[in-house]
Amino acid sequence: MESQSTRTVRIFRYDPEKGGEGAFQTYKLDIPDPNTTTILDVLLRIQKEQDSTLAFRFACRVNMCGSCGMVINGREGLACKTNVCDLPAGQDITLRPLNHFPVVKDLVVDMGPFFAKYEDALPFFEPLEKRTEPYIIKPDDPNRVDIGMATDCIACGCCVSSCTMVDNHDSYCGPAALNRAFTLLADTRDALFEARLTRALDSCYNCRTEFNCTEVCPKSISGTRAIKYIQRLALKNLKSVRPLPPHPAETAAAHAPEKAAAAPETPPPAHPCACGGVDASRRSFLKSATGIVGAGVVISLGAVLGTAAVGPTLNDLPSQWVDAGKDKDFPVGKIVSVTLRYSRTQAFHKENKQFPVLVRRDSEKDFICFSSICTHLGCAVTWDELSNRFRCACHGGAFDRDGKVIAGPPPSPLPRLPWKLENGILKVEVV
Amino acid sequence: MNADYKVDLLVLGMGAAAELAAIYAHDADPDLNILIATKALKGKGGCSRMVQGGFNVVLDPGDSHEKHLMDTLKGGQYINDQDLALQLVVEATPTVKELETICGCFFDRRPDGRIHQKPFAGQCFDRTVHKGDLTGIEIISRTTEQIFKRRIPVLEETRAVELLLDKEGTTVTGALLYNMRTGTFVTVEAAATLVATGGGPTQYRFHAPGPEKSADGIAMLYRAGAVMRDMEMIQFHPTGLIIPGSVVAGALLEEGLRGAGAHLYNGEGERYMLRYAPDVAERATRDVVSRSSYLEMMAGRGCPEGGVRIDAAHMGAEFVLKNFPGMAERCAQFKYDLARGMVPVSPSAHFFMGGAAIDVNCRASLDKLFVAGEDAGGVHGANRLGGNGIGESCVYGRLAGKSVAAYLAKPENRRIKDTAPNMVEDVIARLNEPFTRKGGTSPFINRRDIQETNWVKVGVVRKQESLEEAVNDFVSLRGEVERASVEGKRPYNMMFNTHLDTLNMIDVSIMASVSALQRQETRGAHTREDFPNQRDDYGLFNTFMRRGDDGMPVLEKKDVVFKHKSLEACQKHKK
Repeated sequence: MESQSTRTVRIFRYDPEKGGEGAFQTYKLDIPDPNTTTILDVLLRIQKEQDSTLAFRFACRVNMCGSCGMVINGREGLACKTNVCDLPAGQDITLRPLNHFPVVKDLVVDMGPFFAKYEDALPFFEPLEKRTEPYIIKPDDPNRVDIGMATDCIACGCCVSSCTMVDNHDSYCGPAALNRAFTLLADTRDALFEARLTRALDSCYNCRTEFNCTEVCPKSISGTRAIKYIQRLALKNLKSVRPLPPHPAETAAAHAPEKAAAAPETPPPAHPCACGGVDASRRSFLKSATGIVGAGVVISLGAVLGTAAVGPTLNDLPSQWVDAGKDKDFPVGKIVSVTLRYSRTQAFHKENKQFPVLVRRDSEKDFICFSSICTHLGCAVTWDELSNRFRCACHGGAFDRDGKVIAGPPPSPLPRLPWKLENGILKVEVV
Repeated sequence: MNADYKVDLLVLGMGAAAELAAIYAHDADPDLNILIATKALKGKGGCSRMVQGGFNVVLDPGDSHEKHLMDTLKGGQYINDQDLALQLVVEATPTVKELETICGCFFDRRPDGRIHQKPFAGQCFDRTVHKGDLTGIEIISRTTEQIFKRRIPVLEETRAVELLLDKEGTTVTGALLYNMRTGTFVTVEAAATLVATGGGPTQYRFHAPGPEKSADGIAMLYRAGAVMRDMEMIQFHPTGLIIPGSVVAGALLEEGLRGAGAHLYNGEGERYMLRYAPDVAERATRDVVSRSSYLEMMAGRGCPEGGVRIDAAHMGAEFVLKNFPGMAERCAQFKYDLARGMVPVSPSAHFFMGGAAIDVNCRASLDKLFVAGEDAGGVHGANRLGGNGIGESCVYGRLAGKSVAAYLAKPENRRIKDTAPNMVEDVIARLNEPFTRKGGTSPFINRRDIQETNWVKVGVVRKQESLEEAVNDFVSLRGEVERASVEGKRPYNMMFNTHLDTLNMIDVSIMASVSALQRQETRGAHTREDFPNQRDDYGLFNTFMRRGDDGMPVLEKKDVVFKHKSLEACQKHKK
């Protein structure tokens, strides 16, 4: 029975065990009072009354935790903050996961990439001085007026999902991170002014001032304003924008939780995205370097950016075979560098990857494919014919012809990737 | 046992208590191997984030720890653990300062640039530190960042399902976790385990905490055999929003509204609090206001929406919008106008005063076990003051961090004890049953049944027969919960997650109803229709309990120790 208050609800479904692109499923739901029914209520009711396998995420249900961000009729919003009456009456209700994040199941996304980008902006307070008493700061202090309510960000990811640039620029840390950078730059109690400004400014160049983030923010915070603030600040503080070492928190052992029961010597990760543990330190190094040192370094390091952080759930992604080149491109006895270009699709999430590899050919049939990502901090290593070794320009790491460490800080050998020769084409397996 | 992780300190939960404990333990010894496991995304679960009003702390020279302690004991109707209450008020002062100087919080300022403190109910001095009317966001966002900065690893959407014990059952050896995303179990063994998952009495129809909470810590502690206390003391906040049919129902309008002077009216337009508490009216403590509102509703003097009404508009629209923008926005979403009209509200289940019995170092009754925040009991007695909740989480989280670090500094404590053989396998086998069982009960229905039974029989006002019925109902409901079936596959299965919630909700329901039968008087949050008066010649005791072999609580009453303040001093104190 369809009454006048029956609405059609289209919900994106994705089963991680099946993979693929996912699809929309249609439900009918009677919504007698659209004024007091939130989208979260709609989802909970469908789950209870019609389909218990539906997955979505929520926690506080009052716009304070930022767990239920999704795309509601084409626009990012929180399910708990959006009421049915906020959507046009005649329209279907269409719900899909946030853009730019890997989908875990249905409307649930992996927020790992969000937090990875967020951490790029050094989003934490670093006291300028050790003190026991809070600062005396008047409420009308101009910096505090500038900061306003911008510290109320609940990290829901809506801004990042709405941004058209963030997905195209791996090094762009996005509106939420830059908003936090802005609030700390304006905070006179904080010690990391130069590092933050240098870091943040580099990212600001990627903003195209489309105001999408500002439009969708459920807390009415303007990412665009934050970005412009940082750029203005940089003009006033040109001397502060200069090369800086990474923050100690980043170079310190980025201890991913250590697996206890694992074999004493875990083999080096075979796939580029298995390197989650050292992401932050590698990224921060690149940030400090690329923003400052100049185009040469950017080119030599740029390739690594392609393997930007992905969340831990991606470790289980199916691998794929990618063409590395024709048989004849790889002379016997030589080591050749190639960049694999491919895209990785998972439900709504599509990423264009660039992954540099080094191919050693020992005979007609014998190849070895090394990942060229240095196992220290993830810079690109190159083959140096003269010294007969792989070298990393960043910290002097060196590996022999077999990828074993012979000098410098790298903790483990260069990872090897599976390969095969098919119809005269060399293919390499990547994730 | 081949644990997935072996760590020095396992922290369960990621609210203020858990985060501050991890931060202070790390700062005391950066080499400590700490692992945090949270049911939600990083820093997004827990009730600390949902704190609205603020944090009670003595900062002003005109105030004193003595006054804050007396307010806390008076508010708790004298049955607080006085050592814990004293430590709360004394340590609140450095804790709030360090939230600014170490974590980077920035609380609202007075015109002279010092931290602003606003009035809250039940306090003789305006001492509530706040950031607008959504203080929790500021605290948790900043402390979560400090966790990032210290690179303390976090397992997200990985909830603890059971504490692990050694074969004697006297030492906690870690915890069994469940990764909701993959639908797999994770074992962690630890030299010390801190339970700080937070409470959240969501076992009621109307509840203030987010529905993702389910008193996991309290229920796990009970099942592990820890000594629990004061479990009958469940606070109802008087001003939960009424939104028929919505999951947002029960969400709060903050206490600062009453503190600032908002009035409450019954359906007949009477300001009934003047009748129940002539001296302080709406600024009476939460227990008194909730009880009064409930009695009005039961007497047929409710408003048409089913509760009573709060009137903030008489203070002026501009004042309301300036001081309570978050509350005004929350009302406006449901077409209520807080600044210019009345808003229907009802008492809403809000907070467990009870929890694990702890000492001043956060040690609970089992070895290697620490508890902080809402999972612990005793600080607040029979009723918690608004603003002492986030206070407890921050103060005791910070202390727990220091205390665990001191404990782990001794090499003999740094060792991990062996978990009882087969314990993990047995628990996993039991928890997996709903996936293969056909035709069992639905976790969604079980959840609703638990909530309805609690609301009607163990609610704001209780009586002997209803409580006895409730105990029987819960025993049979536990059977239903244990016979549940779950549909669908394992990854991100919300139905299974709800099933895990109900396993905990049923245990806390049994604890609360059994404990409530022990107290034949009205005191604080515990209101008895059949014993309507507070009896200071009878009721100055605490009910302690531990789980018996049949799963039912074994009880022990102990007299309150008036160690720092006498009963007479507490009774005389005027707030």
